[in-house]
Amino acid sequence: MWGVPSVNDLGPVIVTGISDGAVYAICALGLVLTYKTSGVFNFAHGAVAAASAYVFYQFRDRDHMPWGLAAVLALLVVGVIGGLLLERMSYALAEAPTVMRVVATVGLLVGLDSLLTAIYGASTIAFKNFLPQSPTRVGGVNIAASDFITLALAIVATVGLYLFFKRSRLGVAMQAVVDDPDLLSMQGISPVVVRRLAWTIGSCFASVSGMLLAPEIGINVSYLILLIIVAYGAAAIGLFSNLPLTFAGGIIIGVGINVLGQELSGSHSIAILSLAPNLPFLVLFAVMLFVPSRLLIEQGVRRVRRLRPMPTFKPQTVGVSMACFALLAIIVPLVAPAYDINDYTAGLAFAVLFMSLALLTWTSGQISLCQMAFAAVGASTFGHALAAGFPWLLALLVAGLIAMPMGALVAIPAIRLSGIYLAIATFGFGILVERLFFTSFLMFGNQYAIRTPRPHLLGLNLTGDKGYYYVTLSLTALCCVLVLLVRRSRLGRLLRGLADSPTALAAHGANTTITRVFVFCISAFLAGIGGALLAGVTQSGSEATYDFSVSLAMIAVLAFCWRLPILSPFIAAFLYQVLQVYPFFRDATVLKYDGVAFGILAIGVAVWPGLGSIRSSGRAQERDQRGSPVLARSAPVHREKVLT
Amino acid sequence: MLELRNITAGYDTGTVLHDVTLVVPDNAVVALLGPNGAGKTTLLRVASGLLRSRSGQMILDGVDVTGQQPFQLARRGVCHVPEGRGVFAALSVADNLRLQASARVDRAAVDEAASVFPRLGERRSQRAGTLSGGEQQMLALSHAYVGDPSYVLLDEVSMGLAPKIIDEIFDYLRQLAGQGISQLLVEQYVSRALELADYVYILNRGRITFAGEPQEISSETVLRSYLGALAS
Repeated sequence: MWGVPSVNDLGPVIVTGISDGAVYAICALGLVLTYKTSGVFNFAHGAVAAASAYVFYQFRDRDHMPWGLAAVLALLVVGVIGGLLLERMSYALAEAPTVMRVVATVGLLVGLDSLLTAIYGASTIAFKNFLPQSPTRVGGVNIAASDFITLALAIVATVGLYLFFKRSRLGVAMQAVVDDPDLLSMQGISPVVVRRLAWTIGSCFASVSGMLLAPEIGINVSYLILLIIVAYGAAAIGLFSNLPLTFAGGIIIGVGINVLGQELSGSHSIAILSLAPNLPFLVLFAVMLFVPSRLLIEQGVRRVRRLRPMPTFKPQTVGVSMACFALLAIIVPLVAPAYDINDYTAGLAFAVLFMSLALLTWTSGQISLCQMAFAAVGASTFGHALAAGFPWLLALLVAGLIAMPMGALVAIPAIRLSGIYLAIATFGFGILVERLFFTSFLMFGNQYAIRTPRPHLLGLNLTGDKGYYYVTLSLTALCCVLVLLVRRSRLGRLLRGLADSPTALAAHGANTTITRVFVFCISAFLAGIGGALLAGVTQSGSEATYDFSVSLAMIAVLAFCWRLPILSPFIAAFLYQVLQVYPFFRDATVLKYDGVAFGILAIGVAVWPGLGSIRSSGRAQERDQRGSPVLARSAPVHREKVLT
Repeated sequence: MLELRNITAGYDTGTVLHDVTLVVPDNAVVALLGPNGAGKTTLLRVASGLLRSRSGQMILDGVDVTGQQPFQLARRGVCHVPEGRGVFAALSVADNLRLQASARVDRAAVDEAASVFPRLGERRSQRAGTLSGGEQQMLALSHAYVGDPSYVLLDEVSMGLAPKIIDEIFDYLRQLAGQGISQLLVEQYVSRALELADYVYILNRGRITFAGEPQEISSETVLRSYLGALAS
């Protein structure tokens, strides 16, 4: 089982590892390059790689082109044209707050994922090797020619980029452009040209890594996106800025996964078996937890403008509209067709989930991309508690409470890091929890699901669809009250202060660490409850409901539903979950493309203010011709006796 | 000659400059004085292309360059040393200097700058953000030397620095003037600016209220322009 393997056993594994690692390194280099030069961390980098693999497949296998031509075309379409489009997006995001940068690239990820699945289907497409496979024998190990080519490509890319950054003037300009594009422009270098070049190189790297991975794992957008996330681990080793270290990180992770996989292959425990493929996430999380935060410099936040404050409404308006809304919610099951009621119930559960996300993201200004992991913990705990004979309501409470320590755990990186690194850490954390624990006996178990029966409360049988709807509605209302209480309390003011300026808050004598831990705990509590309520809809919580991609889609959807604490979550939940009960949206084509719509809307919301600033000079000119109001109001200037 | 003709400019929040006309002749130092909020920085931003004027023209050596991008103007010999510290904090001193110089000079720029500010030579591999305020300003100012410009726009370069360093900086500006590089100088130390200047403009509330030579200007005029809008 655990015998020490000889070098010969490990030799081929190490070779495969280095070759895999080289691909990860190429991908990570592109990611680091674009982040370093634009301050926009591209969560969609993996989706770009996947897109390139699909385009390559389209040209080579469907249109029967020679592979070389197909590869060049894929590089041109995805790498160059895609890179130029991404440059436009990142330019519009240049002054956007970190939350909106995350929303934009996550929106792109959600949109591309949905688009590729809609066109090519969700199943994996087999993809023949295109690089020569003829083996060479080196030191007793057979090495395929393609492995050599991949490694050579990665080394050339790393050395080339490294020298380019160190030696060439343009490379230096690339590092300067994120800091102060105006200053760069004043020194005679066009920032637009520099940015375009950086994004084109970065996207081409993603594109190449996508094409190299395709033969190995087949073409499947989810797999490709997940595999490219491996590159995050490599980028983390390079501290998201150092290129040679990033390359080394890619190789280390590639070799680590393969060697660990071989070493642990004898084990029977699923948890131990899944350790190897999850190595990159462990690395990522370790970097986030242990590397001194001064080494993780957030790029491009010097010029950030604030989010426009949300309008406030009169208490009467809020009261009346809430009452109308509550009435509407109460009569829904009486008027809606019986087979739709469960969708409305799920909508309510999602409203709680969105509320937990809005509290974290909009009220306290912290980003979480792992909300569904909290929900999953809630749902599975709920199931276990019910199985252990807990009363239904108590089980629900326990579900929320058990999710809280998870929230506190995620709060650790939140205390140390801010902005984009928190987003990356939560992203990694969400996937890690999903892959390590979802199938363990602690959560959904190896059946991938856990029974969560509906309740009998106060002597009433509420196991019917209508009964459960009303249970969920009352609990959702309680959650609303909780959110409102938090906002009204001192904690709420602290949270808003935290979103505005953590430094100022600390200067006022508030302990921002405790505030951060608190808000994560409350958010996790709400998410746990929401997850448990969602499980009650189907009466069995299944692992797939809580997939990390749902967390991403949620942040994209929430982003374009304004930033209000209660209303936005309900709108988001309606759009995300309930809309599909209506005939038009039930249509298969519409359903296929809903992610595309969500993605586009999220990107739109994120880049819109930036587009405004680009156009402002033209608009201002127009306004001035009509006579500026400021000009009209300003007092006539006292003219000195001019001596000329 | 750098000419700004009838410039009106501002931001989303309102118009700052109203019909401003200003000339920086060849081989001349022009001081631009005025109280806070007069529009001095805005005028420099227009002159270096960072801000597009709403109306008016900019003529550089007889060529209409209105609406050109900053990097295009920089290549035509306009060098803007911005308010604050015009350096890339994350880059090394040497890399900052390379960016300031034209591509032809590139690496030699470090030695050139070191000949003027020896301290920059000593710290060439240090990150610019870790330099002292005075050193950062010297680094920003070396743009006017290694960039080989014809026109230098200087925005409050003495701000927040020790008197001894300000002396050093003014010596440097005098040296630039000696080489025939024209300067448009926005400065809070009025007397120092007037000593150096060949011509003076006073800007108040976005309009030029005085244009002439330093000898024509009395300390009362200066004082009135800084305080007088309220006092008179």
